[in-house]
Amino acid sequence: MNPFDIKAAFLAKHAQHVVLIHFPIALFIIGVVFDFLAQKTKKRGFAEAAYYNLLGAAIFAVPVVITGILAWQFQLEGQKLKGILLMHLVLGCASAVLIWIAWGLHARARRQLPETLPVLRLGLETLAVAIIGFTGHLGGFLSGVNGPN
Amino acid sequence: MRRSVFVASLLVTAVMGLGGIAGEQKSFAARAQEKTASTAEVKIDNFVFGPTAITVPVGTTVTWVNRDDIPHTVVSTDKVFKSKVLDTDEKFSFTFTKAGEYPYFCSIHPKMTGKVVVQ
Repeated sequence: MNPFDIKAAFLAKHAQHVVLIHFPIALFIIGVVFDFLAQKTKKRGFAEAAYYNLLGAAIFAVPVVITGILAWQFQLEGQKLKGILLMHLVLGCASAVLIWIAWGLHARARRQLPETLPVLRLGLETLAVAIIGFTGHLGGFLSGVNGPN
Repeated sequence: MRRSVFVASLLVTAVMGLGGIAGEQKSFAARAQEKTASTAEVKIDNFVFGPTAITVPVGTTVTWVNRDDIPHTVVSTDKVFKSKVLDTDEKFSFTFTKAGEYPYFCSIHPKMTGKVVVQ
């Protein structure tokens, strides 16, 4: 498939998942970095940057989950998964939930007081980064990026 | 005496001849059965179907074996056959009963393609 053929790319049904997935991963990781900086420096700019990056990650996680499920339905016709595919699905869903929880904690704190943001969120965000990293590793393995061209 | 020896040797020759013909027929039938029940194997490894193209006679059962570390599928482009997801060392077999060309691919990795030519 020609990667510059927009029509072919959209009709590929499943191809969007491997493209879209990069956005929430990058936005979430950089959001967590800004959150750690905000916690350390107490600067509002870092907290704002963290919030908007986490917001972007939470938004992009929605189409990523949808296209991932569509890939399962279209490519594999929804058959029962096992092994790496099942692990990727479960960890992917867990990653999305953790992203939404992390953003939710920040959104709630913005509506109330920034001081209400629990420090424990940093632990949750670190755990989320680890799970996202492992899920992405499995996804890369499945997509064959390490295979022959 | 001489006549009976002649008749006996004639009978022995006839029996041996018939046995030979029967044996010939049997081996022909066995060969035909072998031909109809032949098998071929395609190995999936390192994101490649090997051999990529395979030519087999009608009636051959082709077995795909996944020797890769990651799951693959075997899906006919013309929707003639389709495997479930094959994990490492899992197999999928299909018997080709009609002549023709059967291109196929892995639905997880569509760049992986192969072809079975049935003659």
